[in-house]
Amino acid sequence: MKHFAVTIIGRDRPGIVSDTARILYELGCNVADSSSTILGGQFAMILIVSHPDFESSEPLQQAYAELESSGLSVFVRTLKPGGEKRPDLPGELCMISVYGSDKPGIVYQVTRLLSQNNVNIVDLATKLIGTAERPVYVMMCEAVLPATLSVEDIRDMLENLREELQVDISVRNVTPVEL
Amino acid sequence: MAVREVLLYPAPILKQVCSVADPQAAETSALAQDLIDTMYASGHSVGIAAPQIGAALRVAVVDVSESKLGRKHNHGLVVMINPEIIERSGQKTMREGCMSVPDYTGNVERAKEIVVQFFDQQLNDCIIRCKGFEAVAIQHELDHLDGKLFLDRISNPGTELFRRKH
Repeated sequence: MKHFAVTIIGRDRPGIVSDTARILYELGCNVADSSSTILGGQFAMILIVSHPDFESSEPLQQAYAELESSGLSVFVRTLKPGGEKRPDLPGELCMISVYGSDKPGIVYQVTRLLSQNNVNIVDLATKLIGTAERPVYVMMCEAVLPATLSVEDIRDMLENLREELQVDISVRNVTPVEL
Repeated sequence: MAVREVLLYPAPILKQVCSVADPQAAETSALAQDLIDTMYASGHSVGIAAPQIGAALRVAVVDVSESKLGRKHNHGLVVMINPEIIERSGQKTMREGCMSVPDYTGNVERAKEIVVQFFDQQLNDCIIRCKGFEAVAIQHELDHLDGKLFLDRISNPGTELFRRKH
C-alpha cells in the first residue's frame, strides 16, 4: 500500500483539522501518524496517510484543492516503500534545553554539534519569548544518543557552546521506562 | 508457577475496575506468583498488575531493584494484595511505557513519594514509604487495578511550557 505525507499550513482558525480529516475520510484514506501544532499565527499539520488503491498523489491533491482555495497551503509527498516505518532507534533518549538572549546561530551551533556526534534529533521545538526589548530564545530538543555516548558526554560537549553563545543548556535523560 | 500471556489493549479487562482479592485464598497466592514469574520472564518490566494477565483482582507486583533508576531506593520485590495509596506528596514526571500498550510512550506526572498499604503473600499488613522510580512504578500498576492506563494520564510538557496568559 502506498503511503503519502501530507503537509497543510495556513492562518489558524477553528475547523482546519476537521476539514482535513473529512477529506481524508471521504477519500477512504487511513491516517497512520500525524502531528499538528500552532506556530506563530499559523496552524501546521503533517500526516502520514495511506490508501489501498492510490498509486499517485493526484487524487489527494485534487481533493485538497478546495482547502487551498480557502487559503491553506497543501503539499503531498509520495513515500518510497518502507518510508512510513519509523527506524529502530536504540540508545538513550535525552532532552536538551537551550535558552538565553536571542542571537543568531543558536539552533545551528547546537544541532551542528549534535550532528557531528551522530546524535539523532527526533523532536525539536523553538520559541521566541520574553519582551520585544529583551527577547529570549528557547530551544527544546529531544535526541537519541548513539550507543557510544552517554548523557554526561553530551553535557560535556555542550559546555563549550554554553560559554560561546552565552546561553543556558541542560541535558537530561528521558528514556522511557517500561512498567 | 507460570509465566502468563500479557494482554494487550483493547482487551476489555484492562479497562475494568478490579475486585478486592481474598488475601487468604490459595488462588490469590497463585495469582501473585504468576505475576512475579511473568514480570521476571519479560526481562525488562519492573511491575505488572493482575488484569494484565487476565485476572480482575486487586493484586500487583513491583521490583525496581535491578533497574538503574530504582537501584538506590527500593523495597526489592513488593507483592501487593488489595493495595491502597494512603499518602502522596511531591510531583515527578517520567516518560512511561506499558507492556499492555506496546510502541507508545508518554510523559506522566505522578506523586514523587507515596505511602502504600497492602497485604503481602504472607498475609502481613504492610505499610511502606516509597519514592522516585519505585513510587512511579507502584502508581502505574495500581492504576491498572482501577482500569486506568498511562494513556489516561499523559501530559504534554511542550504545550504546558509555552502556554502563556495574555
